[in-house]
Amino acid sequence: MKRRNQNPGVMAISEHELTVMTNDLDQIHNDVSMPAMKEALGEWTDEIRTSRRGFLIGAGAVAGGAVLAACGSGSSSSGSSTTSTGASKTGKLTGDLAIAALAASLENLAVAAYGDVLTAAGQNKLGAVPPAVATFVTTAKGQHAQHASAWNSAIVAAGHSAITVPDPALVPTVNAAFAKVTDVVGAAQLALMLEGIAAATYQNGISVVTADSSVKVAASIQPVEMQHIAILNFALGQYPVPDAFSPLTGARGQGDYSG
Amino acid sequence: MRGRLKEVRTAREEDSPDIDPGAMGALIEESQDIHRDAMVATATSLDEMVENGFEARAQGEVDLDESRYQAARRSRLFTGAAFGGGLLAAAGVGAVLQGVFSSPAFAASPTDVQILQTAASIEALAVATYQTALTLPFIGGDSANPVVKAFSTTTMQQHQQHLTAFNAAVTTLGGKAQTNPDPALLKVVNAAKPGLTGPGPVVALALELEQGAAETYVANVATLSDANAKKVIASIMGVEAQHAAVLLAVQALLNANAPQLITLAAGNAANLPAAAGSVGFPQAFYPTDQARPATEGAMS
Repeated sequence: MKRRNQNPGVMAISEHELTVMTNDLDQIHNDVSMPAMKEALGEWTDEIRTSRRGFLIGAGAVAGGAVLAACGSGSSSSGSSTTSTGASKTGKLTGDLAIAALAASLENLAVAAYGDVLTAAGQNKLGAVPPAVATFVTTAKGQHAQHASAWNSAIVAAGHSAITVPDPALVPTVNAAFAKVTDVVGAAQLALMLEGIAAATYQNGISVVTADSSVKVAASIQPVEMQHIAILNFALGQYPVPDAFSPLTGARGQGDYSG
Repeated sequence: MRGRLKEVRTAREEDSPDIDPGAMGALIEESQDIHRDAMVATATSLDEMVENGFEARAQGEVDLDESRYQAARRSRLFTGAAFGGGLLAAAGVGAVLQGVFSSPAFAASPTDVQILQTAASIEALAVATYQTALTLPFIGGDSANPVVKAFSTTTMQQHQQHLTAFNAAVTTLGGKAQTNPDPALLKVVNAAKPGLTGPGPVVALALELEQGAAETYVANVATLSDANAKKVIASIMGVEAQHAAVLLAVQALLNANAPQLITLAAGNAANLPAAAGSVGFPQAFYPTDQARPATEGAMS
């Protein structure tokens, strides 16, 4: 990952992280500890592979996704470059798959941001990093990678390439915010923003997607992002559960991936 | 660990941290301001439900018996091993049948009423349990950890708001408001009461309730057919998960005999053990194996 203040336009995923995400995908399909999510994904991919393809996939295409161009190369991934990966379909995803692509891109963004935090910490750019904060970042990053893999499993099952880029609409904002981070508190506040966006997007997505299986996948992830927020608040000395009802503030829409 | 009742070492009261009550109050006040903003979305959903509910009722009576039957079938199949769904799920049967039962023919609004009544019954029990806990000196009294006390008070209020929201949804859809506690979970709470001799057992009990609530809502959100009911439950399930996350962290610190670290003091993160950074979110995907049956708290 790239160093802040050196190349603020960078928010990419390394080859290693891609490998990890691929392994996570395998784990998701084999891990018996998450039967509900597995069932939902299985149901969804079954639907995709059968007669509902037209309904769920629409024109059948990936917009802004299937990108490996910036991964690990040091170049910005915030632009509009798209590189097809193999024999996958091209074009624009619609319906639930478009939401899945948006979700995957948000998860990629979180993975990249946490990766940047870890890199900056390793370079002593954040001052002293408490062990609990390091554990949080590492664990949350891994969970976001699993979330991305879950969404990508549905997208790949539909014959499209996995979404491997961060949400292009948010990358400039996150890069700008990260450039100002000078300590652990700043990094935690940035993480809080990203987790809040993710949680709100999932909550909104539950009302937007059409298939029950899509709802179940989103519902199995939104509470986890909310838990990340609670622990971040606690670490920042803020009340950990400030809302009786989780807000929709900051939820991203399909416009992020409209091309 | 996750919501299971177990023996937990009682924290030594002399280790309680010195917290500034004023600062804590300011945090709570700030959080309540934020909450008012968040409530807008939920209130909007409830308002929309009112309109939709009127339309639904205008089109005919609902068959609660049929609804209960179908919801019970789904619960048995999909709420985990505790209710017989584990083997079916492992055999790959669950996903197939789940698709059938979630089809429009089986997703009529009466089922929504029962799901929402069950949710209300869980909230009613949570309110009562936190009320009881707050009467204990080590939770709501002078010897209590201030953060634990504030958390218990605020969480009780949040559950009361959830109860109100769920019952508003129930009545909007033509059902009766459920103010009684979930009968099955009530037995768990009553059985645990004699053992609530310190913060540890109370936290464990609260964790079980919060985990059960969150899992129940996660399990049922896709089953709801009313779009606004879905929005309401979706706005609550993550909050229960947050309660569980905090309780997991508190439980871990109590188990580590470090209650002084249960504080919102600035810089406390530096004192926390490494494990505290991840103990609050043990799974990447929220489980549903401890979800309550969808009709457990439904009214006849």
